[in-house]
Amino acid sequence: MSTQLTKIIPRLGASALLGLGLVVSLPSQALPIDECIAPAAPGGGWDFTCRSVGKLMRELELVEDSVQVTNMPGGVGAVAFSNVASKRPDDSNLIVATSTVGVTQIAQGRYPDGADAMRWLAMLGTDVGVILVDDDSPYETLDQLLNDIVEEPSSVAMAGSSGAGGWDHIRALRLAKAAGLPGDQIGAMRWVQFDGGGPAVTQMMGGHVDAVSTDLGEIAGFIESGDVRVLAVLSEEPLPEPFEELPTAVAQGYDVTGYNWRGFYTGGEVSDDDYNAMVDTLKSLYDSEEWKEVAAQNGLVPLWRGGEEFSDFVRQSIEDVEDISREIGVIQ
Amino acid sequence: MDVLDFLVHGFAVALQPQHLLLAMAGCIIGTLIGALPGLGPVNGVALLIPLAFNFGLEPTAALILLVSVYYGCMYGGRISSIVLNIPGDEPAMMTTLDGYPMAQAGRGGEALGLSAVASFVGAIIATIGLTLFAPLLVKVAIRFGPAEYFALFVLAFATIGGVTSGSFTKSFIAAALGLLLGTVGIDPATSVARYTFGWYELYDGIDYIVALVGLFAVSECLLFLERDPDQATASLKVGSAVPGMRRAIACAPTIGRGSIIGFISGVLPGAGASLGSFLAYVLEKRWWGTRGRFGTGDPRGVAAPEAGNNAAAGGALIPMLSLGIPGSGTTAILLALLLSMNITPGPLLFEQQPDMVWGLVAALFIGNLMLLVLNIPLVGLFAKMLQAPAWFLMPMVTLVAFVGIFSLNNSAFDLYMMLAFGVLGYLLRKLDIPTVPVVLGLLLGGQMEFNLRRAMSISGGDWSILWSSGITIGIYAFAVSLLLAGLAYAMVIKKRLE
Amino acid sequence: MSDETSVEPAARGDRIAGAVLVVLALGAWWHAQSFVAGFMQPVGPGVFPQLVSVPLGLLALYLMIRPGINHRWPSGASLCRQLGVLLVLGTYAAFIEPWGFVPTTLVTAVLLLRLFGANWRQALPYGVLLGVSLYLLFEFALGIPLPDMPGLGV
Repeated sequence: MSTQLTKIIPRLGASALLGLGLVVSLPSQALPIDECIAPAAPGGGWDFTCRSVGKLMRELELVEDSVQVTNMPGGVGAVAFSNVASKRPDDSNLIVATSTVGVTQIAQGRYPDGADAMRWLAMLGTDVGVILVDDDSPYETLDQLLNDIVEEPSSVAMAGSSGAGGWDHIRALRLAKAAGLPGDQIGAMRWVQFDGGGPAVTQMMGGHVDAVSTDLGEIAGFIESGDVRVLAVLSEEPLPEPFEELPTAVAQGYDVTGYNWRGFYTGGEVSDDDYNAMVDTLKSLYDSEEWKEVAAQNGLVPLWRGGEEFSDFVRQSIEDVEDISREIGVIQ
Repeated sequence: MDVLDFLVHGFAVALQPQHLLLAMAGCIIGTLIGALPGLGPVNGVALLIPLAFNFGLEPTAALILLVSVYYGCMYGGRISSIVLNIPGDEPAMMTTLDGYPMAQAGRGGEALGLSAVASFVGAIIATIGLTLFAPLLVKVAIRFGPAEYFALFVLAFATIGGVTSGSFTKSFIAAALGLLLGTVGIDPATSVARYTFGWYELYDGIDYIVALVGLFAVSECLLFLERDPDQATASLKVGSAVPGMRRAIACAPTIGRGSIIGFISGVLPGAGASLGSFLAYVLEKRWWGTRGRFGTGDPRGVAAPEAGNNAAAGGALIPMLSLGIPGSGTTAILLALLLSMNITPGPLLFEQQPDMVWGLVAALFIGNLMLLVLNIPLVGLFAKMLQAPAWFLMPMVTLVAFVGIFSLNNSAFDLYMMLAFGVLGYLLRKLDIPTVPVVLGLLLGGQMEFNLRRAMSISGGDWSILWSSGITIGIYAFAVSLLLAGLAYAMVIKKRLE
Repeated sequence: MSDETSVEPAARGDRIAGAVLVVLALGAWWHAQSFVAGFMQPVGPGVFPQLVSVPLGLLALYLMIRPGINHRWPSGASLCRQLGVLLVLGTYAAFIEPWGFVPTTLVTAVLLLRLFGANWRQALPYGVLLGVSLYLLFEFALGIPLPDMPGLGV
């Protein structure tokens, strides 16, 4: 059977795979990025980050060959993190997608190691949190929803793509606190985790949960189709088109913002030269018009932090999230 | 009549010679990949994605290629199930139960032909369902919340006693073992490591493909070593596929029922093709009761799961396209493909990209027709392969499985895991404990648990949410009646034996 | 589903299996108690494993008391060949990464052919053929990079 196979497939496969074979067989030197690990199943934010960035790098000829996307779901990024830390700490061809969600996990001690185990490359843009209800929900405004939560915390079932205590949940809790929910009542709120923003929204459309707190990018399609009503976006300023009509929480009197930046890390033992080369590659990508377009299409606001600046930012974010988590009671 | 216009347009797109050629290539490559143990539709589609990019195919063409590979893999999976008792991937698992006994009786060609027709009909029914009812079905599917999914999984496990002809106790033991093994790994809700004993390789849980190939392929290889060498080298007769195609007419009601059950499980994201083929088989077995010879080479035991798994594969496209939610591993890969082409599946896809959607639907029709026709020469090819002496065939299958599993993650750990499951599968088969429920437990356990926990989070810890909706009560009532029917059936069999 | 025609009411196998599974279920249940429930989780990570281990333990206990039928266990010669195959495959798994795909696969293929009853004159050429076709199939036709030999590009 195998001989039959080798006769039929090479005609199609050989040309495409020859290039890959060449890259694999070259001695290891500062090669361009050729793999991006998305620490989640296809369809979510991390997967999108890897796929769009990988594709753009190829199109802009920042890398020689296509960037392979490896989906490595598990433990909200913990599986990919421990895989890179233990197996490929010096692989300078590899980037791993991450975001505020991943950093939140680190801050709460849910990864096998801290931020120093990795080298933090850059962030390319940021997504923004939204609070949604179904289009025929009784809640017309953020005030109504938060009032109900403050009066009777267990009356509303909220859902998102992170677990209890994760970033989606923290954003919702901070709103509830801003509305006056006492700290000891937080445990009475109901929070349901789904496999992503999309499943959470469809479960809300089916009437199984009352409201969803997640990122805009993942569920933008449902907003455009009118299936859901946005009660608040968690940005400081109103968003650019086509989401300029959506009300911010700040404008409604709740001083809560919640961004979710998208960026990359690589193994902790990558040399300084390779690290700088990778940061430069990502910077060229960020500076392109194409990235601005892709970002806008997917509800991301382009935003650059790279190299040491980004590493410092990540450490600072971890401290901040640790403080918030302690305040809310996620960690002791 | 919009839909029909679009569909005609879709066919015009899909019938372009270049697209037909791609569909044909996809079907052949898919069939061959699917037939390799360990490599299934997920790998097949994933492997071909870079190829589609490197050829610079436009989205519709790439999608036609990959959908053909998808269905080709589903088809190929059943070939090794029937001929070698080794499923190429998890939805083909149920086909081993009656397909392999048929092959042993010299009716392998018939089983292959029958399964081809059953798959074709299943896929076509699903595609028609997709064409006509997609928006309606989405409305029904979203009525399924966590409690309803949990009930659905309870139904699957309540009927598990009927999978094989062995004892009820042993089937349930196997299922419980599978469910327990399914909890290994990092718990996504709390990040607690469960039963990993410090091995980070276990963080992501036990890969069910590794378990499947170990339980079936490695254990088959170990069992083979016990055979009398003279008997072992006698090659099996396969025969032609044509009588199987005729047999399909007699099995038409079976195929119809299997397709509908499969389609429904496909439409529900989170249930998927494996549940489709499983439920189609079990319900068909119950339908015939003592009048069937399921488990010993009943053609209906091939027709039902094959129709079910292909209908489920088609049905799974509905939530993927219209909600952006992948219902199975393969639709997840297809979703990734669409996303990387800047096509975002979601509620607006049918309006914004009708070309793409209806071209895809047309590609489904054409790919399936092509597979049906390809089936006749392919059966001949596999018949020839089986005439290889056993001392070559078995090591080849073992090594292909080994390399296939290794290539998933380039991990030697997976290989040890596969060997461990091979020994487990061997022991289970010696003990007359069925292995199918172990894989089902592993496959469905995670979703079963998370839907239970989600339901409990929604209710704030009140267990009554599990039986508080009409859908859940209906499913439980159905599960109980099937369980009772199964017990009664087992008693009749026991009486007869005495 | 198996090809064994010889079935014997050997209670011993079932009793041993039942005992092992009871221990497994107890261990799983006990270990699940150490899984701490997370923040705001009405059903923690330990509940489902415990829910599953209870029926597993009870059914395994029942199996010990009322054992069913087993298939015949292998004879000495078969058992040796089975252990041989497992040993060869285990060694293969251990060496595939450090030694590279091609040499380990060639050796494994030849040894497996021998264990499955080929004589040396059959095993050597066909083993090499099998190893090389697998390499071509996966490395080039399917484009899955396999581990290279140390210091070489193959």
